[in-house]
Formats: sequence, C-alpha cells, structure tokens
Amino acid sequence: MRKQEVKKASEKDKPDLKGTFVSVMLLGVFIIITWFGAFALFISR
Amino acid sequence: MQLAKKETVSKTSVQALPISKPESRLYMSFISVAFISLLIGGLMGLLQVLVRSGTFTLPAGIDYYQVLTVHGVILGLVLTTYFIIGFHFSLMGKTVGISLKQRKVAWIAFWIMVIGTVMTAVTILYGEASVLYTFYAPLRAHPAFYIGLALVIVGSWVAGFVNWHQLKVWKKAHPGEKSPLLAFMVTINTVMWFIASLGVAVAVLIQFIPWSLGYAETINVLLSRTLFWYFGHPLVYFWLLPAYMAWYAIIPKIIGGKLFSDSLARMSFVLFLFFSIPVGFHHQLTEPGIDPTWKFIQVTLTMMVVIPSLMTAFSLFATFEITGRRKGAKGLFGWFKKLPWKDVRFLAPFIGMLAFIPGGAGGIINASHQMNSLIHNTIWVTGHFHLTVATTVMLTFFGISYWLIPHLRGRKLTPQINRLGIIQAIIWTVGMTIMSGAMHIQGLLGAPRRSSYSEYGGGEQVTEWIGYQMAQAIGGTILFIGILLMVYIFIKLTFFAPKGVEEFPIAEEEEDAEATPAWFENWKLWIGITIALILVAYTVPVIDIIQHSPTGSVPFDFPIGR
Repeated sequence: MRKQEVKKASEKDKPDLKGTFVSVMLLGVFIIITWFGAFALFISR
Repeated sequence: MQLAKKETVSKTSVQALPISKPESRLYMSFISVAFISLLIGGLMGLLQVLVRSGTFTLPAGIDYYQVLTVHGVILGLVLTTYFIIGFHFSLMGKTVGISLKQRKVAWIAFWIMVIGTVMTAVTILYGEASVLYTFYAPLRAHPAFYIGLALVIVGSWVAGFVNWHQLKVWKKAHPGEKSPLLAFMVTINTVMWFIASLGVAVAVLIQFIPWSLGYAETINVLLSRTLFWYFGHPLVYFWLLPAYMAWYAIIPKIIGGKLFSDSLARMSFVLFLFFSIPVGFHHQLTEPGIDPTWKFIQVTLTMMVVIPSLMTAFSLFATFEITGRRKGAKGLFGWFKKLPWKDVRFLAPFIGMLAFIPGGAGGIINASHQMNSLIHNTIWVTGHFHLTVATTVMLTFFGISYWLIPHLRGRKLTPQINRLGIIQAIIWTVGMTIMSGAMHIQGLLGAPRRSSYSEYGGGEQVTEWIGYQMAQAIGGTILFIGILLMVYIFIKLTFFAPKGVEEFPIAEEEEDAEATPAWFENWKLWIGITIALILVAYTVPVIDIIQHSPTGSVPFDFPIGR
C-alpha cells in the first residue's frame, strides 16, 4: 500500500509531456514524408 | 551516495553580472557592423532577384557576380561572424565577467576583423574579387581579398581566445563549480570555430595567397575545395549554435519557464562539436577524385547531427508544454495557447524554430549521398540555406536584438517597437516563404543556382522556371522591406528608445533539477574525440587527394574572377 502511494506521488511529480511526444512524432513523420517524396522523384528520373 | 557526490558538481545559481559602459561599447561595436552588413547585403539580394526576374538590368555596367559576391560575403561571413562574436562576448560578460585586459584584447580582435573586412570589401567593390563567397579555385581574386579574409578569421580567433581565458579565470575563482551553461556553450562554439577555420586558413595561406600573387603557378583545386568544406559545414553550425544558445537558455526565461535540462543542453552542444566538422564531403558528393567509401563515411557522420537536432526539438517542445501546463493549460495542445505570442522576443525566434523543421528535413535530403544529385547545384540549395541561416538564424538574432541592444544601451523595448518587431517578423515570414518556397520548387525542376538571368538558348525546360523567378523577385522585395524595417528598429533601439532597464533573460534550472555530471567539464576529452573523428574522416582521403590529383590549375580571371 505504502509502496503504491510512493509510486503515485513520484508519478505526480513527473511533468505531463504527452503534447511533446505527439509533437516530436509529427516532426518525425514530416521528415520521413519529405525524404520519401524526394526519393520517389530521384527514382523516377 | 558517496559516488554520486563525486560524480556531480555543485549547482550554482544563474550568474548575472552587471555590464559596464565600456563593455557595452565593445559588444555594440560588433553588433553594429552586423546591422550595417544587413542593409548592404540585403540591397544586393534585392538587385539579384530583380535581375533574375528578367525585367531589370544592373546600371553602370555592374556585374551580377560582383553583386552576388557582396551578398554572400557580407551576409554569410561578415554579418554572422560579427553578430555572433558580439553575442558571445555579451553572454560571457554577463555570466563569467570580462577583465580590463581581456577587453583590450577583444578590441584588438575587433580592429583586426575590421581591417580584414575593409580589405575584402574594397577588392570586391573594385571588381577584383567576383569569386562568390566560396571563392572556388581556379577562379582568382586579388590577393588582398584572401589576405582580408585571413585577417577576419585571425581576429575571430583572438576573440575566441579571450572567451576561453574568461572561462578559465572564472573557473579558477570558482573551484568545483560547473561553468555557467551559456559560457559552456560559447566555449563549444569557439572551439568548433577554431578547429574548423584552421582548414580554410591553411587553404588561404598555403594555396590561394601564393597562387594569386603569382609565386605558385598552379593550384590543387580538389584540395582547396576539400579544405574549404572542412570549414564550410561547421561554419553553418557556427551560425546555428548561438541561435540554439538562445533557444535553450534564454527563451525559457522569456516565456516564464525554467531550463528543461542543463545536462541535455550541454550534451547536444558536445555532439554538435563532434559531428559538425568531419562531414564536409557531403558538400562534395558529386565531386570526382574522392573515394565513394569516404563520402559514405562522412554521410553517415553527417546523419549523426540529426541526434542533437532532435534532442533540441524535444527539449523545446517540453519547455513549452511544461510552462504552459503550469499556467493552467489543459488538453493535448492547450499549452500552445499559453505561449507569449505578442512578445517579439519570443515570436521572432519561434518562427525561426518552425523554419528549421523544413530546413532540417531539406538538409537530410541534401546529405543523402546519391540522392544529392537530385538537387546538387540547383537553386533548391539556395532555398535551403535561406530557410536555415536567413530565417532560423536571422529571426533568432533579431529576437535577441530586441532585448540585448536596449540592455546594452540602457534603454527599453517599448510596446510600439515590440509591435513593429512583430510586423517585421511577419513580413520576413511571408517574404521568405514565397522566395525560399519558389527556390525549392524551381530547384527540383532543375534550375541552376548562382546564375544570372538567362534563357539558355530558349530550352523548353527553362520556360517552367521564369514564373518561380518572378515569385523570388516578389518574395525578395518583401524581404528587403523587412530589412529596412529591421534597420529602423535597430537605430531606434540604439539611439532613440526611452532610457530604462531592459532585462537580460537567462533561464534558471528547476529547484529539484538533477545535478549536471562533472565530466561535462572534461574539455580534453571533448576536443580529443573531435580531433580523432576528424583524423578518421579526413586523413586517408586527403593523402589520396594530394597524391593522385591531376596537375593543378592556372588561375582563371574570366568569365568571373578578377
């Protein structure tokens, strides 16, 4: 029980970075899309 | 516990030393040269886009390539170097202090650079050095052009030596304490600059000057280009790292937050030191005479730079989110609305950060070995560095100027100037989106960079290009309006803004932040790894280039040159 409380408290201290996670994922997707776009052009020529 | 104590150094509060008037004069001198350069270089840019629209001819027989050389040298080399050194000195003065003797040596650095800049400028203005900012051999300029450039570099070294000495003196007075984050970052950037510019110094002193004076009949072209790009790529990071300094350690304070992680910021700078230099071949991917294996090795090392870049992106998003949530933001992206959008000290650098997303993505495409042939020597590349240096770096430098100049001049950033700044940032964004966007697309359609207006004998492909060149002229004109407004703001902030105190924003760490490991101060280790990587990446191919190059080239003064 006590252990759980400690765990809960430490989780509460951790900042909520869900928005950051989604943002960096979107950034990664953008890089991948542009790279494969250029790659497709490179292959087609 | 004992071990943990040994491995960490005590945390120090953010240093904020007062800046005296004589110090301000020094820092402002560097920054003023940068803004004068902005005006001259910007005007040259305007002339270029007008010529390339096909509707304008340069008056008085002025050569397009002369204008192009002024634009590249004065914006790429002069503006950036002077602003960065002025900013470096301000950061060092604020965090570790500057002694009278150090200040005197810093003035010597300034005057060496000014003499070099004037020599270079005069040769270009007399039409004796229309060799563009890369001064590729076998194009030949007047010897004074190369000697002037060498003096600018020597002056910048002296400035760097002063920075190192400033930190050394501080560390002696603060044994066992970690160096202030901004002083650490300045030291990384100056170390990188020194190691990198050794390459171009060797090329200028040993190859270009004797050859331009006529003492050496020929020049090893491939070696000179290799030495240039050994310097040329870290030059890009020398521009970018001061922007990162502001993003990591100043922007959090402006938005009312704290430093996300001192250790992460230091680690990303150390990684930039490692991977900025041994990568120059990715600018020479279509160059014959370099073994493809070594190109591949340097391409791999180039991709390593993605790591600290993404660390920076993560750290910035996290700073924004944590700060926004503390201000009561809810939901996945509610924190976005809590950012100070009406504060130009934040808005201008933020747009710079956004521009680095397509800028960085384009950079990965450029460095992707065989795929480089898609865009090599096309105007895509020009569009790319107008996103990175001319938007990301410049808008961050403008953002810094809004608080640094009034702080140094004992004046205030008024709401009116703040509003003008926001308008300036929007004008810049609109102009650059049009100009750089058109350059990227035109480049993918095969249009060359660095060329004056031409119909290329009426080829069918060429007819696709002119519309984009018109768009570049429109974007470039909007940008020039942005430059005029920025110069007006600079004059206003320097001489006419009301007297007062403007904050020098430096972010603090969280109360409960983990201590930074002591090994971050191990400069011998960082410099040792950097040199080892350079030796691995360059020793064999450079020996190969020296041994197997064809006969060197005699100078060419036509069609461009002297």
